[in-house]
Amino acid sequence: MISFEPTDDQKMVRDSVSQFADKTLRPRIREFEKKRGLPDDVLAAAHEMGLPLAAFPEAVGGSGLGVVTQVLIEEELAHGDPAAPFALGGPGAYGWAALLFGGPEVGKKLIAPFVGAGAHARVGAIAWGEPKAPRERGGLATTAEKTASGGWKLQGEKAYVLNAHRAQSFIVFAQVDASKGWDGIGAFVVPADAKGVRVTARLDTLGLEAADFGGIALEGVEVPADARLEHAGDPHRLVSFFATQALLVAARGVGLARAAFAVTRDYCEQRKAFGKPIGHFQAIAFTLADRATDVEAARGMVWRAAWLWDEAAKTGDVGATREALLHTAWAVSFTHEAAMRAGDDAVQLHGGSGFMRDYPVEKWMRDAKQLQLCAMTAEHADQLAAAIAVNKAVELPLVLPCAESQNAFV
Amino acid sequence: MTIEFSLSNRQREMQAMIHGFAETIIRPEALKWDREHGVPNDFLSRIVMMAKSMGQSFTMGPNSADTKVVEATPEERKKRQIALTTIVGAEEMAWGDAGLMLCIPGPGLGGPPVRASGTPEQKQRFFSIFQDMSQELRWGAYALTEPGAGSDVAGIRTSCRKDGKHWVINGRKCFITNGARASWNVVFATIDPGLGRAGHRAFVVEKGTPGFSVGKIEDKMGLRASETAELVFEDCRVPEENLLGGEDSYKTKEGFMTAMKTFDNTRPMVAAMAIGIGRAAYDYACDFVKQHYVMTRPIPRYAAIAERLARVGRQLAAARMTTWRASWLADQGEPNAKEASMCKALAGAAAIRACIEAIEICGAEGSIARDHQLLEKWFRDIKVYDIFEGTGQIQRIVVSKRLMPDLKSF
Repeated sequence: MISFEPTDDQKMVRDSVSQFADKTLRPRIREFEKKRGLPDDVLAAAHEMGLPLAAFPEAVGGSGLGVVTQVLIEEELAHGDPAAPFALGGPGAYGWAALLFGGPEVGKKLIAPFVGAGAHARVGAIAWGEPKAPRERGGLATTAEKTASGGWKLQGEKAYVLNAHRAQSFIVFAQVDASKGWDGIGAFVVPADAKGVRVTARLDTLGLEAADFGGIALEGVEVPADARLEHAGDPHRLVSFFATQALLVAARGVGLARAAFAVTRDYCEQRKAFGKPIGHFQAIAFTLADRATDVEAARGMVWRAAWLWDEAAKTGDVGATREALLHTAWAVSFTHEAAMRAGDDAVQLHGGSGFMRDYPVEKWMRDAKQLQLCAMTAEHADQLAAAIAVNKAVELPLVLPCAESQNAFV
Repeated sequence: MTIEFSLSNRQREMQAMIHGFAETIIRPEALKWDREHGVPNDFLSRIVMMAKSMGQSFTMGPNSADTKVVEATPEERKKRQIALTTIVGAEEMAWGDAGLMLCIPGPGLGGPPVRASGTPEQKQRFFSIFQDMSQELRWGAYALTEPGAGSDVAGIRTSCRKDGKHWVINGRKCFITNGARASWNVVFATIDPGLGRAGHRAFVVEKGTPGFSVGKIEDKMGLRASETAELVFEDCRVPEENLLGGEDSYKTKEGFMTAMKTFDNTRPMVAAMAIGIGRAAYDYACDFVKQHYVMTRPIPRYAAIAERLARVGRQLAAARMTTWRASWLADQGEPNAKEASMCKALAGAAAIRACIEAIEICGAEGSIARDHQLLEKWFRDIKVYDIFEGTGQIQRIVVSKRLMPDLKSF
């Protein structure tokens, strides 16, 4: 069956998130921006609603609602504030990495600190990107060496790490075997307070200020043998992980585009020029129609990709993953561009006022550009989609975020 | 209900069957039909037989004369996904040849207004002739456009006046698909141009009605296998029983609403056809790139082409999602005028772009007409998909009026 109707459970979750976004997030976006983060009461409220854990399997303390539900939540959150889903507490990408690369047992252990009362401000982070990737080979510059005691010693610098300053724990990707390039990487759980971990300066960004983009230096950090997540070398899992994270960013793009469109539509109905609302001139009305169409199309594409990931998880079939990947790539690049168009046109149709911070649209335009650089860029997604369309093998570099580009924000 | 995007078994079987038929039987003949300005009747008879054996699957929905479809209750429509099934079939058929599709016997675009507005007697009378076409093929057609009024439906000048038990029609209709060979045309006329839409009346004008004649048959850029006729009405006397819906139904604004209902039903269908043609061009370009680039050149040499392929693929995917949604809404019995216009606007533009990009990617070879090499034909066929059933600009008017309720007209 083809159906665009969420389940009753999904509707309930979506409606409550939507209410939270409208009442708690939207009125305070400038406060979050200035503070460069979400205040404790907002984190606590989201945690109480169970948002950070909704999509995770019940076995690890989540609600088991799957990727489709997750994209519904992401869209609503971003509709309130596009920075919020990046800045909320919870296991997030860290939790998914723990589960995928560590397996159910390890995943449960690593996600446990995010469950229950008082966990609302806890954050995990993925340290993937690097300021300088190796030129001579594929893979990462950060290295992991086996120690005499059987543990691992990490050396290197990670960049563009989302939540670097707030995280209690990192999953750090590092090169285990340099000769194998991308096939020789591993992932390691590193507590933020481990000896030799130094959090580098937080970055000032174009947009999404409430999200925290920074980096960490690993100066001979020693972790025990079981800190290594055993399945991180599995290309299939790496691909699933980065692609689904990119899809969640795309879902945020849908929320951003919808917010920018709706506020702009209202403005164009109320602002008068030449004796009538400016929205009643075709040049403006057609632009609004196109942006509304973008939202509709982008949402459909994100839903379809999300549904394919849920299906692929059920069957574990490689062909299903390939299809999910293709639809994810399409959804990501379409949504990135749609969100950017929405932000740009929102400022444009507000005219001079749009440039002023009294209106939210200038923020959304900056956020849209920042969003485009998170997880997977449109250019990256296009190369991936084309590779699948012409039946090429999906090689890791086609899916993995380029280590030295900003698009490692996950 | 839940969000999901798998075709039902029935839909998948139909899709596969039409695909096979399109590839092996239709495409080899398509260029010949295009050159000969028509599809031979014996071939059309074969299609009619096939449709019957398949339960009319690909002529069903808006175009169907099948009483099971015409008289389907809202519950049945929803359960059988009549609109969605139709567009899935339509995309596949148009992937084969859109010209042929427009030639398929049946009520055609004349079906929806009769179904939407006809009295039970009229439905019985005008649809029953399509039940058995084993001896003779029959068509219905829809005559709205005039030399002086296309998208501006309110501007039609073909006049009608009551004279005893007849209506007398005078005027000209143009660009009428299958208008010349149709057993009946649904013809729109006005009792008084000064009344605007309220003055409109719709008639079912049967072949052989005194005063009705066929003018010129158009020579077109594309879709040349399809018959496009001019219709002439000179004191054409139509029995009063042929006034669609009966006289009482015009006491409200129903006359005009008939035309609009037609478009809401048929726009997703036309969008699906456009996507079918666009996908044909996209598949062709992907195959070309596989043969000429992937095998022999490293990725950086064709990154720009990969980007173009991906852009085409995702625009078609975006159009398909909105088309599915518009049809799904129709099956749910929910209003879909906005979504129907959105998908039509997206699909027309995306498919034209697909054909243009494909020809550019394939170079000179792509512009050459040969059997099994139909790209130049698709390029010619597709343009009108952003014109008929409402131009892209008209779709934006429809959408923007629904985004801004205060906007009555421009």
